[in-house]
Amino acid sequence: MKNNNIEQLKKEYMDIPIPEELDLVVENALKNSMIYTKKRKNRYYKTSVTAAAALMAFTVLINTSPVFAETLSAVPIMKNVIKVLTFREYIVKENTYNAEMKVPSIEGLNNKTLESSLNKKYIEENKKLYEEFLANMESLKKNNSGQLGVNSGYVVKTDTDTILSIGRYVVNTVGSSSTTFKYDTIDKKNEVLISLPSLFKDESYINIISDNIKKQMVEQYEADKNKFYWVLGIEQKSTIKPFEKISKDQNFYINTENKLVISFNKYDVAPGYMGIVEFTIPTEIISNILVSTEYIK
Amino acid sequence: MKRDNLVKQIADYIIIHKERYYRLAYSYVRNVDDALDVVQDSIYKALSSVDSLKDPDHINPWFYRIVINCSLDLLRKQKKVVTVDDEFLKNCNLKVVDKYTDIDLHRALDSLPENCRSIIILRYFEDMKLDEIAEILNENISTIKSRLYKSLEALEIKMEA
Repeated sequence: MKNNNIEQLKKEYMDIPIPEELDLVVENALKNSMIYTKKRKNRYYKTSVTAAAALMAFTVLINTSPVFAETLSAVPIMKNVIKVLTFREYIVKENTYNAEMKVPSIEGLNNKTLESSLNKKYIEENKKLYEEFLANMESLKKNNSGQLGVNSGYVVKTDTDTILSIGRYVVNTVGSSSTTFKYDTIDKKNEVLISLPSLFKDESYINIISDNIKKQMVEQYEADKNKFYWVLGIEQKSTIKPFEKISKDQNFYINTENKLVISFNKYDVAPGYMGIVEFTIPTEIISNILVSTEYIK
Repeated sequence: MKRDNLVKQIADYIIIHKERYYRLAYSYVRNVDDALDVVQDSIYKALSSVDSLKDPDHINPWFYRIVINCSLDLLRKQKKVVTVDDEFLKNCNLKVVDKYTDIDLHRALDSLPENCRSIIILRYFEDMKLDEIAEILNENISTIKSRLYKSLEALEIKMEA
């Protein structure tokens, strides 16, 4: 009798239907996490020049103690050492609480105001993240429960003669995970930060690009039913508001082929399994409203 | 590099056994979207904490454990009460809800506490050895044994009644 029950239970368990999306979900998740683990590996590669452990302690000190950092830069020989550190990082490892934050730092620009304002922004972003993490960790600890992870870092999306696009990502893990990406694109020749509105003559780009993205969403879905977006034209099962248009300062970068790429964070325009989604905008449709074809061709 | 190899090994493992992991997740969260989320989060978690895998031969139990933990996390999170204002409720089409299949298996298994449920699933549905289960659930083997017998007793009564 007992075995019969178990057999029957097992059959029912094995009959749990496998949704078609599973392949895509697994594939995407693997792809995304590979990128992050690769990045982490690079860090060790870069730092292995010096004794890694010593450098780590060094970094933490620089980050935690401005006085220490200043003292170092005051000593002429040590000045170069600080320049070698092209990153700063915060690391917390405590049982179920993990944080790894890597702060990019741009060097070598002649326009020092731009350089320092960007670097300051990166540091502040991560400092805020770090403080939030500590606060969350403390409150979770009081309840003696929970799991918390923050992983932040950066990817250089494009680095050509004219353009440098840096993407900073934050992966938050609290039960489930969320990822956000932010981009900065710099004109290397003129040493200015490129904003989305500055690329175009007027604000008509918002609608033109949005329409194109909506078209691409539907087309992708038609070709592959797993690529689901919250947009009119695809039958919706939920009540989530469909995507209407990009914001004026939508996340973007310029890729190595000089094409404009619009990026959306996880959950912005599609279910979580789609992750970060990006759309490459064909240059033909925006060529009329571009200020110049210097960046985008 | 050694770490690269390990990551690749884990990825291969996940690809081959993804359906088993999905089923396990589903048996906890009981709906397609949540189960997919659990699988996805488990992969993120696994690959961001490769260092916690002590023995490369134990990828399977290690990943099972991550899936179970992610599932439990999600269930725990759903238990939390969320307050919403009337405006939001009015705008919601309340007829659209996730579909939960309701069959005897679930009812019978549901009545077991989570730790017992995991044991039944791993032992009989995934055909695992007791020592592997002990490793996944981080308990010693005799605890697992006694829980297993208790669960079986409970299930039998439930199924006959």
